[in-house]
Amino acid sequence: MRLLWDELSRAVPMIVHGNPTLLSVIWFTIQVAVIATTSAAVIGLPIALAIGLGRFRGRRTLQILANASLGLPPVVAGFFLFLLFVPQGPLGALHLNITRSGVFVAQTVLALPYVVALSAAAIQGLPPGLLGQARLLGAGRRQLSQLALREARIGVMAAMIAALGTSLSEVGAIVIVGGNVYGYDQTLASATLYEANAARYADAVAIAIVLIGLILLLMCGLAALQHQGDGIRWRFRSAA
Amino acid sequence: MAFLWDELRQAIPLITSGNDYILNLTWVTIRVAVVATTGALLIGLPIGLALGLGRFRGRRTLQILANATLALPPILGGLFVLLLTLPQGVLGGLHYAFTLNAVYIAQTLLALPYIVALTPAAIQGLPPGLLAQARALGAGRGHLSLLALREAKIGVMAAAIAAFGTALAEVGAVVIVGGNIENYDQTLASAVLSQVNDFANYPYALAISIVLLGLILVLIGLLTVLQQRGGFQLRFRSM
Repeated sequence: MRLLWDELSRAVPMIVHGNPTLLSVIWFTIQVAVIATTSAAVIGLPIALAIGLGRFRGRRTLQILANASLGLPPVVAGFFLFLLFVPQGPLGALHLNITRSGVFVAQTVLALPYVVALSAAAIQGLPPGLLGQARLLGAGRRQLSQLALREARIGVMAAMIAALGTSLSEVGAIVIVGGNVYGYDQTLASATLYEANAARYADAVAIAIVLIGLILLLMCGLAALQHQGDGIRWRFRSAA
Repeated sequence: MAFLWDELRQAIPLITSGNDYILNLTWVTIRVAVVATTGALLIGLPIGLALGLGRFRGRRTLQILANATLALPPILGGLFVLLLTLPQGVLGGLHYAFTLNAVYIAQTLLALPYIVALTPAAIQGLPPGLLAQARALGAGRGHLSLLALREAKIGVMAAAIAAFGTALAEVGAVVIVGGNIENYDQTLASAVLSQVNDFANYPYALAISIVLLGLILVLIGLLTVLQQRGGFQLRFRSM
């Protein structure tokens, strides 16, 4: 127990005194999570709406693909992106490998399946009459999308939180594409890996504690949403 | 595009000719996944059954906690196991740090939440009369557990597959705890990391990625079939 205790007693002051390296890692992690989730939402929500509302051939296949892409190992996804971004690769001109922008792009790609698969499921979980009625009343594609998003907002928000969560805790893709460069493009998770491999355990523990704090915050957000979700369902039923 | 094509052309023979390094990686990876999933089932099923069938105080809180552990970053589990197994740590006497045993322990710990959280969910999804009837007919705890497991078997199998999948794809904990040592405790996923970052050996990384993807696709296929039979939603997710 001594080791754990010793590392902890050296880790806590780093957090309390706001160690500058730690602060910059926290700031970059938040940037990654926010940028990746926002971009994934901008790209993914239209796809989720198409899967959830569309009545075209191959819709079911698209959904299976979206669900399956959730299972894609992040290291493999990261490596494929890395190959695209190598100077000789198809997107080499963008010079994204071992840069912060590369990390943003990689994390966006990893967040995308969460947004698409979970939002589409939330839209499909809406009471079946609701959208049918809107269609009958002559709602256009755009109005229908707005209605679906508004009604499924709890599920869509949960999808965003899941996307934020992976961005916080993922290491494989970030390390491959970003190179895990100290003081540059490290996130809390990849910095934990780096410090532990360098046998600086107190630093690793300090970073890990901050990471747990952020994840707990997200979980509380999710719990609050679920709670609110119950309320909304109740209100919906009582109105009907 | 020529570049990607070239790399792929060098990668394919590595797979088809049964390269020793890649075969060995595959074998280690499967062993880690099997040990972790079995370990998690042995430890997790009794807890999952207690949460799913029990009628004690705090059951609901425990279940929320179990669900929450699913969201914890794997790298933290890895760091925790490393600090336990280091020579100065609590389990230091076992000399497990940077060995396959440490990888087994870390992956078992990471697989556990899947079993503990998803088993009660599967049991609670059973028709409500079923277990009550068995209770009324005088089934003991052992009988009740067997019945619940048999009826909820599709859900439990899905949980085991999800756990197996994470064990295959996970890198953070494996690298921290095992040290990513080539030809020893490297898994397919952690080998991709080292082939790219340390050696810039893309054909090897590509060949390993293809093998890993193949394994994951088999699992996703199994899960999809189970899902259709069980009529439930469980998404497979890798970390």
